[in-house]
Amino acid sequence: MSSVVELRDVTKVYRLGSVEVRALRGVRLQIESGEFVAVMGPSGSGKSTLLNIVGCLDRPTDGAYLLEGQDTRYLSDDALSEVRNRKVGFVFQTFNLLPRLTALQNVELPLLYAGVPRAERRRRAAELLARVGLADRLYHRPRELSGGQQQRVAVARALANHPAIVLADEPTGNLDSRSGEEVLALFQELNQAGVTIALVTHDREVAEHARRIVTLRDGRVVRDEPVRSPRDAREVLRQMPGEPEGP
Amino acid sequence: MGLLEALRVALEALRANPLRSVLTTLGVVIGVAAVITLVSVGQAARSRVVGEFASLGPDLLWVLPGKAEEGQQFATQEGRFTLTFSDAQAIQREARAVAAVAPWLQTSIEVTGGGRREVTTVIGTTPSYLQVRALRLQLGRFLSEADEERRKRVVVLGPTLARRLFRAPELAVGRRVVINGRAFEVVGVVHPQGQVLGVDLDDRAYVPFSTAQLLFSVNYASFLFVKAQDTASVLRAQREVERVLRREHGEEDFTVLTQSQFLGALDAILRVLTVALSSIAAVSLVVGGIGIMNIMLVSVTERTREIGIRKAVGAKRWDILAQFLVEAVVISLVGGVLGMGLGLVASWAIAARLLDQAPTAAAALPVVVLAFSFSVLVGVAFGVYPAWRAARLDPIEALRYE
Ligand SMILES: Nc1ncnc2c1ncn2[C@@H]1O[C@H](COP(=O)(O)OP(=O)(O)OP(=O)(O)O)[C@@H](O)[C@H]1O
Ligand SMILES: [Mg+2]
Repeated sequence: MSSVVELRDVTKVYRLGSVEVRALRGVRLQIESGEFVAVMGPSGSGKSTLLNIVGCLDRPTDGAYLLEGQDTRYLSDDALSEVRNRKVGFVFQTFNLLPRLTALQNVELPLLYAGVPRAERRRRAAELLARVGLADRLYHRPRELSGGQQQRVAVARALANHPAIVLADEPTGNLDSRSGEEVLALFQELNQAGVTIALVTHDREVAEHARRIVTLRDGRVVRDEPVRSPRDAREVLRQMPGEPEGP
Repeated sequence: MGLLEALRVALEALRANPLRSVLTTLGVVIGVAAVITLVSVGQAARSRVVGEFASLGPDLLWVLPGKAEEGQQFATQEGRFTLTFSDAQAIQREARAVAAVAPWLQTSIEVTGGGRREVTTVIGTTPSYLQVRALRLQLGRFLSEADEERRKRVVVLGPTLARRLFRAPELAVGRRVVINGRAFEVVGVVHPQGQVLGVDLDDRAYVPFSTAQLLFSVNYASFLFVKAQDTASVLRAQREVERVLRREHGEEDFTVLTQSQFLGALDAILRVLTVALSSIAAVSLVVGGIGIMNIMLVSVTERTREIGIRKAVGAKRWDILAQFLVEAVVISLVGGVLGMGLGLVASWAIAARLLDQAPTAAAALPVVVLAFSFSVLVGVAFGVYPAWRAARLDPIEALRYE
C-alpha cells in the first residue's frame, strides 16, 4: 500500500520581481497512514510552504508530490479543490472560520462543497462538533466562542469529509497554554483513532506531542526522528494548575 | 454546490450589509422604473395618437406642401407655401372620387372676449371642414359659404375656449371676440373633441379661410384635407388629386397621403421617439448596473479571506463564481421587480393624466417581460466580472489577505 504523503525532491521557488526566494530545496518526505508528524524549524525555513504543498493549496516548482499514490502534478485547479475537499483537512493558526456563519455552518462547509444533502450535512456537522466537545455550541458564531473553542470548531471542520490527512499550521500559536494543550489532546485522541496528522510548530514541547519530528532548515529536511516517548496532553493538562475546561 | 445553495449563501451575504444592499438595489429600481415608464407611456401615447387620427376615417387624405423624398412619407420644409385656395377649388371641381376638400391655415395668437385674454389656436378653413372631419355643432352654426365669399368676420369656438372667455358655451354665441385687432362675431360652438397628448382640441377658434388669409396677410394654405366619396375610392381620389395639382402647379411640389400612409408615417415617427426616450432611460439602468459592479468589486475585495477559506475547504471556481453571480442577480432582480412596480404605477398615473386612458394589462405584459429579462441581464453582465475575479483568486494569496 502506498504512503499517504510522498514528496520526491520537491522544490519551491518564489519569484519577487528579479529576486528568487528558494523556500524548499529538494524535500524528500513520506508520511504513512496513522502517523502523527511534527514539522519543526526556525522561522523562514519553509514549514508553511511545505504544509501548503502537502495540502494541495500550492504546487511544487519542481519535483513530484503523490497524495495517497495519486500524482498531483497535472491536476487542474478545480481538481485540486476536489482533492482538498475529500482528502485534506486544514487547521490554521488563525482558525479561519467564516465569522458570519455558526459553528454548525462552518463545519458544514466542506460537506456543502462535497455535495452532501442539507439534512445529512447538519447531522454530520453536529456529530463532529460533539466529538470535539462542542455539542452545546452549535449555533454560536466564532466571535461568541473562545480561541480554544474556535480552534476545535476548525478541527471538526477539518474532519468533515474523513480526510486522508489533517494538516495543522501552528494550531496552538494563538492559544493560551491550557487551550493549546487541549487542542493537542484532541489531536492525540484523533490520532489514536487512526487519523493521520501533520503539524507545524517551532515549539519543541508542542512537537513532542507527535510521534515523529521532521526538522527543516533553509528549505531542506535536516533531521527526521521518532519521538521515543511522546508527551501525553491529558497528563500535562492534569498537572496544570487551575480549573480544567472542556470534556 | 447547487444554485439553491448559492442563493442561500448570496442572501446571507446581502443580509449582512442591509443598507448597502438596499442602496445598490435602488440604482436598478430607478433604471427599470424609468425604462418601463417611458416605454409604456410612449406606447400608450402612440396608440392614442394613431387611434385619434384613425378615428378621422379611412376615407381621409392629406395634401401637404412640398415633395416627399423617395422612401419618405413627409416632405421637407422647402415647399411650405405651395398650396392655395384655388388648388382646393380645382380639386373640388374636377376630382370625381372626392367628396369634400377643406384648406387649413393655423396660427397661435392672442384672442380677447368677454373681458378676458387667451392665447389660442386660430384656424382658417371652409364650411366643408365640417363634413371632412365629421364635426358636430353644439350651439349656433358653423362657417358658411357666404362667410367665405364675403370674408366675414365670424368665428366658431371650441367649447374650452368658449368656456374660458365667456364662462359657458351658451353665453358665447352672439358675443364679440377680437383677433389681431379685428372684432369677430361668435356664431357657433362645436362639440367637444377631447385631448391628444395634452393638446386640447377644443381650445380653438375657426374663422373663414379667406378671412384668415386677410387677417394674417398670407396667400397659401398650410395643407388641404380631402375626403374621398367612400373607402373604396381612396386610391382613385389620391390619383385624381395628384393629377389636378400637377396640372395646376406644373410640377410635383406637393404630397398626397392616404389615411393609412399618414398613419404609417406617424406611427414610425412616434416609434422612433419612444425608442429614443427609452434609450435615454436605459442609460440609467446601465448606471444602476455599474453600481452593482462597483459594490460587487468592493465585496469581493472585502471577502478575499472568505474566498480563500472556501477554496481551502474545497470550493471550486464555479462555486465561487456562482456565489457572487447569484448575489449580483438577486440585487438586480429585486431591483427589477420593485422598479417594475414603480414604473407601472408611474406610467398609469402619467397616462391617465396626459392621455385620459390607462395602459391596458395586455400592453403592460411585454414591458414586464422586458424589464425582468433586462434586470437579470444587468445583474449577469455587471456581476460576471467581479465574480470571475473572485473565482480565480489564488487560495494561498486569499488566505494571507488581511
Ligand atoms: N508568497 C511568497 N512570496 C515570496 N516569498 C515567500 C512567499 N511565501 C513564503 N516565502 C518565503 O519562503 C520562505 C519560507 O517561508 P515559510 O512561510 O514556508 O516559512 P515558515 O517556516 O513557515 O516560517 P514561520 O515559522 O515564520 O511561519 C521564507 O523565506 C519566505 O519569505
Ligand atoms: Mg509558517
